[in-house]
Order: sequence, then C-alpha cells, then structure tokens
Amino acid sequence: MQISALNPGFVGEVYGIDISAPLSLDQVAAIEAGMDQYGVLVFRDQKLTDEQQCEYSRNFGELEATLIGQMSKPSERRLGPVEMGDISNLGPDGKLRGRDDNRRMYALGNRLWHADASFRATGAIYSLPSARVVPGFGGNTEFADMRAAYDALDTATKALIEDLVTEHSIAFSRAELGFDDYGEGNADKIRPVRHSLVRTHPVTRRKSLYLSAHIGTILGWPMPEARAFIRDLTEHATQPQFRHAHQWRVNDLVMWDNRTTMHRARRYRDLEEVRDLRRTTIRGIGLTAAQVPAMAAE
Amino acid sequence: MSITINDLTPGFVGDVSGIDITRPLSADEAATLEAGMDRYAVLIYHDQPLTDDQQKAFSRNFGPLELAAGGTVTKTAERRLDGEMQDVSNLDANQQPLARDDRRRLFNLGNQLWHSDSSFRAVPAKFSILSGRIVVDAGGNTEFADMRAAYDALDAGTKADIEDLVCEHSLIYSRGTLGFTELSDAEKQMFKPVRQRLVRVHPVTGRKSLYLSSHAGTIIGWPMPEARAFLRDLNEHAVQPRFTYAHKWKQHDLVMWDNRTTMHRVRRFDETKIRDMRRTTVAGDRVTVEQMAA
Repeated sequence: MQISALNPGFVGEVYGIDISAPLSLDQVAAIEAGMDQYGVLVFRDQKLTDEQQCEYSRNFGELEATLIGQMSKPSERRLGPVEMGDISNLGPDGKLRGRDDNRRMYALGNRLWHADASFRATGAIYSLPSARVVPGFGGNTEFADMRAAYDALDTATKALIEDLVTEHSIAFSRAELGFDDYGEGNADKIRPVRHSLVRTHPVTRRKSLYLSAHIGTILGWPMPEARAFIRDLTEHATQPQFRHAHQWRVNDLVMWDNRTTMHRARRYRDLEEVRDLRRTTIRGIGLTAAQVPAMAAE
Repeated sequence: MSITINDLTPGFVGDVSGIDITRPLSADEAATLEAGMDRYAVLIYHDQPLTDDQQKAFSRNFGPLELAAGGTVTKTAERRLDGEMQDVSNLDANQQPLARDDRRRLFNLGNQLWHSDSSFRAVPAKFSILSGRIVVDAGGNTEFADMRAAYDALDAGTKADIEDLVCEHSLIYSRGTLGFTELSDAEKQMFKPVRQRLVRVHPVTGRKSLYLSSHAGTIIGWPMPEARAFLRDLNEHAVQPRFTYAHKWKQHDLVMWDNRTTMHRVRRFDETKIRDMRRTTVAGDRVTVEQMAA
C-alpha cells in the first residue's frame, strides 16, 4: 500500500489495497497512520457492497448512526440499517426526490462547511462515503484542513480562542438555510451539545479549529457576536490554501477525519441526475468539553 | 485646484484629491464626482473634517437624502444624531460605547455581513456616504465588493439561470443569520420583506450587476433552503479577493459607494474603543421590480 500526497500534508491518494477484502492489522495501522498525517484519504476503484463498506469501516471503531436515519421511520429509509448514511437525492422508492421534499431541504445543509456529527457530544472520528452513482456535473465534496487553518491564526487570536466552548446543534445549521421542520418526536435530537473550539488530535497532538455549520453560539458570548466571530473564523479556515476539492468517480471511497477537517458538498442538478453516496461513520470517543448533563444529545 | 481621481483598484475604487467637500460644490464639481462614481463605484476622500450639516449638504449634490427610520431598532428618543444621519458608531446618546449585550449593538453586528445598504427598502439606496469622525487603530476596516465585475465573471449558464430571478430582502433575514430573532410586532411590520431583482442594470452605465445582500432571504418561487444555499454560492463567488477592496480608515476620511453596484461589510474591532462613523444616504429613485400589493 502506498499513499501519494495530493497536497503537502493534506489529502492522500491510496494505492495498492483492496478494501473490499478483510484487512490485516498492519494494513489498518497503515491507513490510520495515513489518516493522522493527511486528514483525508482517497481510495479509487473500490467496488463495495453495503456489507463490505460496514466491515471495512469497523476496522476503525464502532459505527455511528446518522441523525436523519434516527429521525426517520423505517418506511422513510431507502437503505436498511441506520448506520448506512444515505447521502443521495433518492427517496425510499429509489426515485429522485421532488423539489420541495423535506429530506431534500434537510440535505441542503450539507452545502455548508461542517464536521460530521459535531451536533453529538462525542462528535465523530471518520466519515467514509462510497460513491455508487455520481452526477455528470457538480456535486464535488470540498475539504478544509483545520490544523493548517489553526496554525495560520495570529497569536492573539489563538490566545482568544484557546478556552472557548461552542454549542452545536443540527438546528443551527438548518436554520441558517431557513429549515426547521424535523417532524414529531425529534425535539431531543436538536438539543445543543458543547465542544471546545480548539481541539487536540489524540495521536499527533496537533491542534485544530473545531468549526462546523452546526455551531450556534459561544458560551458566555451574546449569540450575534458569537456567530459573527465564528463566520470570520470559518472564512479564514476555508481559504483556498487550506482547501481541496474531490471530484467523485463511481467506486471512490473517501475517508476523512472529522476531528481535523471540515467539508461540504457543492451544488449539482439534483432534480435531474442521481448522486448516490453511502456513508459510514466512526463514532467519536470522549468529549471535547463538559456537557450540561440534561442537555447532552446522544 | 481641480479634482483628480486616481485608481486604487482600476475601475472599482478611486482616490479623490483636489477638492474640499466641506464647502458648497459647483455644478461641474458635483457632475465630475457623480461621473467618477459611475466609473468606479467607490470613491475615497481624505482629510475632510465635516460637520453633520456639511456632510448632508455635500450628499444632497447627488440626490435627496434617505431617512434613517425603518432601518434600525434604535428608538427615536435614543438617537444620538438627527433623522437624516445614520449612526454607524458603537455609541449611545451619551457618547459611551454600547454594552456588550446591548440590543442595538447586537443588531448593528449585522453590518459585518456583506450587504448593500437599504436593499430591505422597496426603493433601495443610491449612494452611501460615510465619514470617519473617530476611527479605531486596529480592525474596523470597511471592505467593498464589485458586483459588476462579479456578474461579468459568471459563466453563461449561471447568467441565464439568474437573469429574471427576484429575491426577498428584509432585515429579519440578515439579523436572523446571526441569531438576532427577537423583534417586536412593530419591528416585524417595519422590516416586512421587499422584492429586488437579483440582476440589476445601472441606469447610467447600463452595466449589469449582481444585486446581492445579506438581507436577501429567499428567491420567489424557490424553496427557501435551496434559495439560501444558492445565494450563499453566489455570494462566495462575488466576494472573492479579486473583486474586493479593504479600506483602512483614517480620521476625516469620507468614503462614498454606489449600493446599486457594490456590497460592503465592516470587520470586527475592539468595541470598548470608540468608533464614530456617520453615514448619509442618497435615496434611490425607483424600485428594481414590482412589489407585492400591500
């Protein structure tokens, strides 16, 4: 197995491995080391079944359910288990979703820069989407390196943010686009959780900015001031020099570390062309900040 | 002494010298400056110590003034300046910086979002004219983005997609973006959305520009989340460094910009320091699109 850097220290392309087959411990360790170095790894030409994708993903930890899966009734889900995240524009009947479809509105939030599952107290470690069908135009996923973005802050800003704690909720990112219809019985899933704005990677010990569209405020700050400041930090952190765009091909699997990166999807003709990505997600371990016990969503 | 305008950014930001705008202008001088505005879109003047009356008199060379009412949550009795002066300071009526959690301050933080002044009015503003009476040493820059150049740089497909789109603009949208959502019934009525074309044409130059603003909250006929995501993409395109200019303020600078062809925003600064900026606004003379019947 070899990894070639697509950018220095950020985003590697992996060759010489078939991830549809069971991996050796050495192979798993090599991939994890690559993740620690690059933050994002791209695997091409990996034809996976859902079962193979889950099996591959479990090499890196326990699988996390997607929130929208948990918010949906079984009859509303196209893919079986809630651990298979449905990052597509298809309804449970396998047909393209209509323009006003509630799930389409919800999914548009993925066009905002975010870290997956930052609305959970434990966040997520890796996300691993596999591209089964890709559109002919648009639909790139873009990544931003939150370690490099942190490093590039001036000393005063680093000192200002060192101990700040933010509140994250799916409701904050969706409200940004004017969406607030979660259906009945899901109020508990939009309660804010707390995260440190600066986090340290457990292996590399590098600091990174823990930003996400799910952030709604900073503890102790008036909300509008917090939001304006988070916008400034996000603008800094997503400048072109920290960014990489992935153009999907069928059977690409891309894995990224949500502790050190943000990502977003770009526009595509989603009323006309199918984009079927299936995502597994590795559950986070531990908290980045103390929670208010009654508030912690899980 | 004759007026000279030098490029700060070719075709976008001009630096004006050779004129004292504290005194009345001749018709020729006013015409030269107006032509400069059409050619550039942002003009910067230095060392112009203005009183409010002088600033208003200068501004009237370009048209009648827009009143401040309708664009703020500051109550009349709390105003520091008269009704033709927009108070863009961080001060209360006693000249003290507003407290961190003061509602007026939190509302004014919306100026850190890219916007076009008064795009929330059915007849939106022509020029904004901002005088730096007391400026801060660090931060507080005003940044400008050229919406003509941003429009020109769109691909043909996008130009065709957006040609006839109409947006709804309201202070409710821009403030909602920052989580400022507590408005009285009277404020909600005052900030009722208005319609604006997304592509507008300058009445003199005939150039098209993107009429974007943080006040734009949806596109007529589109689901709101799709409209907002698309407007964000257009915004991101339009405020790329190649379309923007940052003005670092010195005391007695005066900057005037054309809201029909530019967006702007203020950057963060230490709000325990006094920043006293005063704006006059030259009213627009037409709607960009027919409004809904009331």
